[in-house]
Amino acid sequence: MLPEQPQLERLQRWMQEVVVHPGSIDQAVTSPGAEREIPSRQLGEVILPSHSLTASERVGVYQGMYLMRMEEALATDYPVIKHFLGDEDFDELIQDYVGRYPSRSYTLNRLGDHLPQFLADRPDWSRDGFLADLARLELAMTEVFDEEETPVLSGEDLESVPAETWEEACLRPIAALRLLELDHAVVPHLTAFHRQRPCPNPMKRPSWVAVYRRDYSVLRLELSAPEYALLSVLVDGTPLGEALADAVAAKDSARKQARVYRWFRNWIREGLFSTIDTGSAT
Amino acid sequence: MNDNRWGLPDLGLGIGLRGTHYAHILSQEPEIGFFEILTENYLDTGGRPLHILDQITERYPTVMHGVSMSIGSTDPIDFEYLAKVKALAERTGALWVSDHICWTGVLGRNTHDLLPLPYTEESLAHSVERVKTIQDFLERPLVLENPSTYLEFAASDMKEWEFVARLTEEADCGLLFDVNNVYVSAFNHGYDPVTYIDAIPADRVCQYHLAGHTHKGTHIIDTHSDHVVDPVWELFGHTIRTIGLRATLLEWDADIPTFDVVHQEVLKADSWRRLEVANVA
Repeated sequence: MLPEQPQLERLQRWMQEVVVHPGSIDQAVTSPGAEREIPSRQLGEVILPSHSLTASERVGVYQGMYLMRMEEALATDYPVIKHFLGDEDFDELIQDYVGRYPSRSYTLNRLGDHLPQFLADRPDWSRDGFLADLARLELAMTEVFDEEETPVLSGEDLESVPAETWEEACLRPIAALRLLELDHAVVPHLTAFHRQRPCPNPMKRPSWVAVYRRDYSVLRLELSAPEYALLSVLVDGTPLGEALADAVAAKDSARKQARVYRWFRNWIREGLFSTIDTGSAT
Repeated sequence: MNDNRWGLPDLGLGIGLRGTHYAHILSQEPEIGFFEILTENYLDTGGRPLHILDQITERYPTVMHGVSMSIGSTDPIDFEYLAKVKALAERTGALWVSDHICWTGVLGRNTHDLLPLPYTEESLAHSVERVKTIQDFLERPLVLENPSTYLEFAASDMKEWEFVARLTEEADCGLLFDVNNVYVSAFNHGYDPVTYIDAIPADRVCQYHLAGHTHKGTHIIDTHSDHVVDPVWELFGHTIRTIGLRATLLEWDADIPTFDVVHQEVLKADSWRRLEVANVA
């Protein structure tokens, strides 16, 4: 006669406590969370041994695979951070991270959403903010990859806008666009990863990046500070007249005005905008 | 031998759709009976995966296979997730939607593993009710796969095959019968896989899965990382002799080789299917 068996709900709470524990299987089954549900001395009465494995070894098969699965998912989203840290430190980071931010979604695609904030909050991992910046860039690339496809504004679309409506017109960005203002130059690390070269040393230098998607490929555009400032206010919905007045004063040189024109031409060519809202009824 | 009770078609031989094969499939348009997509890979993307999926579903029959329905969990059912599954099934024209007889997490967490259930009257009744609710919501029969398992609960008061048969009958759902999983679990728990196969109600079976695994000596892990081993092919032969021909899919999820290697592997099932047809004739 077997002793009274735990009910399904308790059995599941116990098994989850054990499976997600980052230590050894012995530490997992004797952890306070697991002991609260099923005392470790009763393990042999809950899980049967097999012809070759003990009860704890059998539940250990599941426990051993949990962190590997989390590391695999996050290595897909953050390959440059893994390249920078190396396998051992990356695994340690992920163990810390999923302990704080375990998956609460049906998809692993969102598991890494909190990593930039986690890194920013943790001085032992942040590398003076460098890793948080690198994580922001990689997260932006993941988000852009999955964003909805939206129409792209063409040069012809722009040319068809009546001149008298330009002042009040607002450009609407494509969904798959993220603008980043960073304290570190992180794009060189992305380049090093793609070229399979060693990562350069972190460099604290402000940088501005647009991450966007064109023809289903994720691309990035390094921006200057004034280019980022103008693009940001346009993306936020500031009317063209107001945004341009702030960016280029009437007294500015023709050279400066030409530079802004080049930025616009480049943004349109790269497909960063979806529509232009002139406020007129359609 | 009977067909499945819903008349879901035998689509022939199929392959699990994986990103590494997208370019080959679109450019070569290989002759293949159907593709099975991993549901969760397409629920929250508007980018390239969905763009490619739309092109593939225009050309090939498609079925959906998920890992997050968690039908045995004691957490509430996630209807937001189910709504997305339903919308994707409508978009792709999936012929059926499948998931696993398992649970994946509780207390709002997801371990993203297919965790085993104790085979008890309590968990059977619990799972039956949830499957009925899910089927009502999806407005289509749900097809559930027997999982690979690595442990047994002392609380179980019936064999896995009894649990599977009763679940599919009492919830009136389909069965995606994974022959490799039967082999894996039979080794891990020390039972006869043929006994398992012979106990399965044929009219519930809508699809078969085949896959490779990793033998660790003391136990076998269902890794989908290699060719199908000969004993699993033998069991597949016994399965189609006992249950009949069904849409048959090869899964290969780790160390994925070229499309042609995966394709050649699933084509091995053809000789077993031909043998069965010849025997029936």
